[in-house]
Amino acid sequence: MSETFSVVGKRISQPDGPAKASGEARFVADIRLPGMLFAKILRSPYPHAVVRHIDTTRAAALPGVAAIITPDDCSEWNTFDRGMKDKPLIDGYRVPPEEAVVNRRARHFGDAIAAVAAVDEHVAEQALLLLDVDYEVLPFVIDAEEAMLPGAPQISDVAPGNVAKHFDFPFPEGDADQALSDADLVVEGTFRTPKQEHCTQETAACIAYVDAGGRLNVWSQCQLAHLARRELAHIFKMPVRKIKLMTPFIGGSFGQRGALCAEPVCVALALKTRKPVKLVFAREENFVGLEGRTGFDRVDVRMGFKKSGTLTATKTYMVGRLGGYMGCGPMASVIGMALVMGHYRCPNRAGSSDMVLTNTPMAGAMRGFGNEVMSFATEQLVDEAAEKLGIDPVDIRLMNAKQTGDIAALGLYLESSYLEDCIVSGMKKFGWKEKRSLRKDTGRIRRGYGMCTMSHCTGAAPLYLEHSNALVKLNEDGSADLTVHPAPVGSHIWGALSQICAEELGIRAEDVNIVTGDTDVTLFEYGSDASRSTYAIGGATLRAAAQAKEQLLAHAAEMLGAEMADLEVRDRRVRVKYRPEVGCSVGDVCYDAIYRFGGDATNFSGKQSFEPEWNSPIYGAYFTEVEVDVETGRVRVPHMVVAMDCGKAINPMAVEGQIEGGVQQGLGYALTENYAINKETGVVETTNYDSYKVPGFLDMPKCDIIIVDKPDPKGPFGAKGVGEPGMVGIAPSVANAIYDAVGVRLRELPMTPERILAALEEKERAARA
Amino acid sequence: MFRLLRPFEFHEPASVTEAVALLSTYGDGARVLAGGTDLVVSMKKRELAPEHVIAISRLAELDFMELESDGSLRLGPLVTHAAIAQSPIVRTHFPMLATACNEVGTPQIRNMGTIGGNVCKAGPSQDTPPVLVALEAQLTLVGPAGERIIPLDQFCTGPFCTVLFADELLTQIRVPPIPTGGAGCYKWCTKVTATDETLVGAAVVLVVDQDHVCRDVKIALSSVAPIATRVRGAEDILRGRQLTPELIEESARMAAAEARPRSRAEYRRRMVRVLVGDAVNQLWRQCVGSAGGATA
Amino acid sequence: MKMLARFSVNGEPHEIAVEPHWLLVEILRDRLGFTGTKHSCGVGNCGACTVLVDGVPVLACMTLALAVRDKDITTIEGLNGGDGLHPLQEAFVSHGAIQCGYCTPGVILTAKALLDRDPDPSEDDVRHALSGNICRCTGYVKIVEAVLAAAAVMRGEAVPAIAPAERSSPVALAAVRGEVDTHV
Repeated sequence: MSETFSVVGKRISQPDGPAKASGEARFVADIRLPGMLFAKILRSPYPHAVVRHIDTTRAAALPGVAAIITPDDCSEWNTFDRGMKDKPLIDGYRVPPEEAVVNRRARHFGDAIAAVAAVDEHVAEQALLLLDVDYEVLPFVIDAEEAMLPGAPQISDVAPGNVAKHFDFPFPEGDADQALSDADLVVEGTFRTPKQEHCTQETAACIAYVDAGGRLNVWSQCQLAHLARRELAHIFKMPVRKIKLMTPFIGGSFGQRGALCAEPVCVALALKTRKPVKLVFAREENFVGLEGRTGFDRVDVRMGFKKSGTLTATKTYMVGRLGGYMGCGPMASVIGMALVMGHYRCPNRAGSSDMVLTNTPMAGAMRGFGNEVMSFATEQLVDEAAEKLGIDPVDIRLMNAKQTGDIAALGLYLESSYLEDCIVSGMKKFGWKEKRSLRKDTGRIRRGYGMCTMSHCTGAAPLYLEHSNALVKLNEDGSADLTVHPAPVGSHIWGALSQICAEELGIRAEDVNIVTGDTDVTLFEYGSDASRSTYAIGGATLRAAAQAKEQLLAHAAEMLGAEMADLEVRDRRVRVKYRPEVGCSVGDVCYDAIYRFGGDATNFSGKQSFEPEWNSPIYGAYFTEVEVDVETGRVRVPHMVVAMDCGKAINPMAVEGQIEGGVQQGLGYALTENYAINKETGVVETTNYDSYKVPGFLDMPKCDIIIVDKPDPKGPFGAKGVGEPGMVGIAPSVANAIYDAVGVRLRELPMTPERILAALEEKERAARA
Repeated sequence: MFRLLRPFEFHEPASVTEAVALLSTYGDGARVLAGGTDLVVSMKKRELAPEHVIAISRLAELDFMELESDGSLRLGPLVTHAAIAQSPIVRTHFPMLATACNEVGTPQIRNMGTIGGNVCKAGPSQDTPPVLVALEAQLTLVGPAGERIIPLDQFCTGPFCTVLFADELLTQIRVPPIPTGGAGCYKWCTKVTATDETLVGAAVVLVVDQDHVCRDVKIALSSVAPIATRVRGAEDILRGRQLTPELIEESARMAAAEARPRSRAEYRRRMVRVLVGDAVNQLWRQCVGSAGGATA
Repeated sequence: MKMLARFSVNGEPHEIAVEPHWLLVEILRDRLGFTGTKHSCGVGNCGACTVLVDGVPVLACMTLALAVRDKDITTIEGLNGGDGLHPLQEAFVSHGAIQCGYCTPGVILTAKALLDRDPDPSEDDVRHALSGNICRCTGYVKIVEAVLAAAAVMRGEAVPAIAPAERSSPVALAAVRGEVDTHV
């Protein structure tokens, strides 16, 4: 299907670009309200401790302190559900009611145990130091497998052995055990993956106030605004109608704002003081007080192959480290297990996971949500099998690839797969065959070339609530207002949605005005999550625009004396298809409909509630060149090619930006980001950018991004998602390239120089033996 | 987990004499503020809470960079790392110092942070101290009783500890010229990313004659001991001997053995061996290749 | 104890009573309402708080307000003298170099200082000059492209990309600007 679009597919710049470039764009911390108080949270210095008592006398006496919350105050509120978005179909997932606004028993270093509100941030900071806390320090456990052992400190009353959730893989097939024992070749490994901190450049922040009408107003960064409203209503025992939640610009999320962050404490203080309260986290608080990527202390994977290279079986067992409270972290295991095989045909599949509480800061969702963990394991094992069977790594993937029409990762029909296009175009751009046939370096610096493939979901149907809404209305000048509520985290979603709306209506992208950011105004929206926004919110937008267009055409038909079927809208004009000179502007039609004195005035509009019943997987092929210095163990990545099948790119510039951003986060995950906790004290050692290193301008490879750009049958104008997958294939392709360079496989992330040197030494020892 | 500072009294002396007088008055309750890149962070982390801050950044008499007729460099403590890194004088005559200053922090930090602040912080893992130690820099300290001159390698006594009295101010760093026929360089590796803190820094000054005999050598390391340190055992292996790759390897191994790193010890020792070996080999080629002269 | 201090910000004089322990970032954001300068890591590693002091990029979260009295401070709001978008800003917009926008003011100001010093930088020069600015969204790729493109425009060697016709910012957010209190 080849279509010429007027607006879709164009590299149009974002409507919010100028405001961000000029510094006018307001983020939560930039908003000021008269009489506003500033809040700060007191955090536990111990990984596990009971707060026996907090003496607030000295803090309360400090001039400028307006309110203090301790665990004693929290009995008037409900606990909250950090997994608020997770009500999936499998296993009746529920989060136990254990996490309060501030906690009587601190379950990790940095857990919130009290909070103050004061006239400004200076007084608030000082007040924290005047709270006298009597702690009963408890034994703690950092490692998930240790936490499962008998005798380990118990963190929750409802998680025996600290196992908060055990999952059996929800999409089992065949008999994996039998198939593994029948296989010609079994490759297996045990892998270990770390927590990664999102490092959004904007720290968590919130403003809350009760307005003159008695309604709670909240400026929130939550990606899922309507769910956040519901959750706040639950915690603070208020009806939803009493809460207005507003979304300003958000300085990055990558999944971290899929749960409430600064909101509960901020709202509690606003309700207590009846004044506006602003809470802004210091950078260190993001590292210890929010969810990070779920790390896995153990990922055991076994894969069975025929001599021919056909994949016959896979079995996985995962032990995940949840941190002190159960949130959405457990889902990372089953989502990872499901998605990782989304591009492989495999008739025998099984798996299970134990998701374990530990006295560490919390685990949750970060770009990839488990797919990056499983890909690190699986894509290395597939490479290993390829080597042992004498098959090229590219060919083994091609021969096992799922095709359009198969069943996709989450159990739905596979709507479109252009994985082969990704592989072929990526290979060509990278020079895969030529590079792999070069003689291996033998000196100090050794080059290596690795690749991998991956698939990811677009949205999380059928597991999650995929309910989106869009409202389109046409104005008298032929422009449109589009009311939607995605999260403006920087993904360029407003631009994409305005392009979709404009394309359908036959107007320009700049004629579409986005109305958003206020739960009073927007219809229910699940939110931005799981790479769904363009597909699901765009799907609702497309359908709502189509409704408005139908009304427009019906009215225009009357005006022009034509048949509706003979009309089209192009370049802001309604015209007769075979006689384009007969027509009038969209504005004229709208104006005519609005300003009528016949009793039949109307304002064209469309409204669509939309819950996609499909889930069109995204495919990617990653090709990486590395240079390994065998003296120092340092890895340099000079070049990377990522070829992505994400359907029709609504805005190719935005799509590239998502993938390029994913490369940075993927390289951090693979090589540089090491979230460290002191084993003796349970204290988090890496709480800022001075000790936790994200890749910078000088750490990036030359990136070539290829967008396959073939449309999916179900996505709006053929689009699929692209928010997450940029990062999923980075670590495995780097690992495979390291193997190609120096012959060692790393099974733990990040792949630090010391780990590489240790692996090289081990290899040498084994060769001598 | 604080973003702001606690209150203090702010003093802006108009001269070195006035600054010293203030330091005498307030003693340990005062801290000198130059660029602020170390002091402000320490104060935010609540590691330091001075009641008095003596701000000296507007003291023009402490901001100078002069090449003397004998080839030595006189630096005022307020010269920023950026100014040193970009100075044609330093790049020509002391390129290893320009290299080290160009490695401190990030571009913004280099615009703000001063060489004096860096030296007085005496942190074990900074870039400029090993270079200044290898170049045998001398510090001028001014107190109420007058002036004294201390070689840099006697100035630091331990991590973040110096012999600077509470009522003294650093007023000059004097860097003698690199010996004729010699060359110097600074090699380093970072902890993780490109602009990260230095994991190991090696500053080497080497004088080799046309018969490949090492007339003199100074090797100073950072981050592998409580203070920037000369590794004299490694130097002794080279001094007076005719260089060969094997001899240099032996010296590099000795440097690694003399290092006393605390964390990531094995890897740091490895990097000492690699960096010292790389540095000496490079400087040997340079000394013999040209008639001496500087490099980075 | 507060001291009365004069600041020159974006070409305009301001006289404010300042506590010695107040940071420049607080003065700019909370006292003068220039919220384009962002507060992020607080320890000098990310560059989000970068402003120009006498044309030189410094970190506002690490600078005492009193230390920059009587100096010329430029924030992102003053980049083009308040007169539309600077070529750097235009290039960032048209090259997709902005995603969440939080690092953007600091990056643009640092790039401005680079181009003032070196109107024809190489890609390597750009990366080094911006190495103190962290971006978590873009992977840096389009930022580098935008800076090089802006440099070409500023040298008169290229025409700026055609900006789309007037775009409106989303309705609900327009209300936010009206609620901002710029002076306390």
